[in-house]
Amino acid sequence: MTSSSPNSLRSLRTRRLLNGAVTVGSVLLCLLLLPTRIPGMEILGVGPNWVLMWVVAWSVKRTAFEGAIAGLVLGLLQDAMTAAQPTHVPALMLVGVLTARLQKQRYIQEDIVSVALIVFGMAVIAETVTAIQISLHNLVQPGSFYPPLVEIWVYHQRVALSSAILSSLWAPAVYYPLNRWWEKERLIEPT
Amino acid sequence: MFVLRRWWDRHALRAGLVVLTVGSAWLIRQTQGAVIYEVYQWITQPLQPGLTKPEQIENAYILELQERLVELENQNRTLKDLVDTKDETLAAGVVAAVIGRSADHWWQQITLARGSQSGVKVGYVVSGPGGLVGRIVSVTPNTSRALLISDPTSRVGVKVSRSRAMGYMRGQSSSRVVMEFFDKLPDVKPGDVVSTSSYSRLYPKDVPVGRIESLDLTKSPAPEAVIQLSSPISALEWVMIHPFEPKLDTDDPGANLTKTLEDSP
Repeated sequence: MTSSSPNSLRSLRTRRLLNGAVTVGSVLLCLLLLPTRIPGMEILGVGPNWVLMWVVAWSVKRTAFEGAIAGLVLGLLQDAMTAAQPTHVPALMLVGVLTARLQKQRYIQEDIVSVALIVFGMAVIAETVTAIQISLHNLVQPGSFYPPLVEIWVYHQRVALSSAILSSLWAPAVYYPLNRWWEKERLIEPT
Repeated sequence: MFVLRRWWDRHALRAGLVVLTVGSAWLIRQTQGAVIYEVYQWITQPLQPGLTKPEQIENAYILELQERLVELENQNRTLKDLVDTKDETLAAGVVAAVIGRSADHWWQQITLARGSQSGVKVGYVVSGPGGLVGRIVSVTPNTSRALLISDPTSRVGVKVSRSRAMGYMRGQSSSRVVMEFFDKLPDVKPGDVVSTSSYSRLYPKDVPVGRIESLDLTKSPAPEAVIQLSSPISALEWVMIHPFEPKLDTDDPGANLTKTLEDSP
């Protein structure tokens, strides 16, 4: 027992490191996919929202707090890639919290189809939060450089629908491997 | 105190991880995602467009030349009356490949494969085959990000080349933009060439932008026109980055707007 204990500790540590590397690596992959527009992967110039898919995949089997933290981190990262003004943090945090809540109540069985459905709904919610944010900025700040409200909401319809369709179609590609990995890890890691 | 220590003993690792993750995300945000864009540039290197250019871009280039010709002819006519003009057209710049587009759905941006190592700075003007494309808003060593003129927050002072009717245009997130005239009854008709005006502070004057597609002269408060951009915004592969110093030191009412535009991205 005494001889095997440091050994298992080391394997636990490497597992943890590997686990972290997979998580961080998958986030990085999602971020790198964001600016690409691979042919056949866009509708009306809008691509899938990879970051949102990652937050949903993360939050599905975790607590609301963990979902919120994931939303905060990925929101900051997406802000880094675009601009800080309409920030993505509240939208993604809301998505993380809602996804975690949804699963807890066991309304929806967990499988790939339902995850695609969740992503569809969450994509619409996220774009709506952004649109509300832009509208508020437009109403509150005089001389705002955003377009008038009507244009924002017409554009919102277009973006929300194409983003929701594409993201829900691509959601299994993010969800399935990540979920498999985390499931496997949880079996091994004592918690 | 004891409760606090016990909490700390149990959750120290997790709290540390949360702080570390949020901290590094904040750091990346503050550096405008420089690390991510550098990695992106490195990974997409083999995928960046080669020398084959589609016909669409060639056509757009011909259109640009025609528009430049119209612009020059009109300029020449004015110059005969007014000898003492200061010229500040686009200086020759560096050619850059377009390696990515906006990282979310609300911004109209492109990522270019040239950065501060090629001398690119924030505020430089980007033109493509067909005319004006946008301006640089952030720079990393090997990439830069340009805000397109089709972005809803982009405002460009423009004029109708034929009649010198002035106005400004704002993006519509598509290849068409809306131009609002300053005059109540502007001398303008569909097909007229539109280029940047000398009122524009973020862009040099006399760069071709597009053609008037349709008109709504009854629109209140100002008459509007829809402009078809002459550069194929959604199919850009190569662009030119021109050195340009934005004029941000003026004090008129519009200066506020340009400052907000400067700060926001």
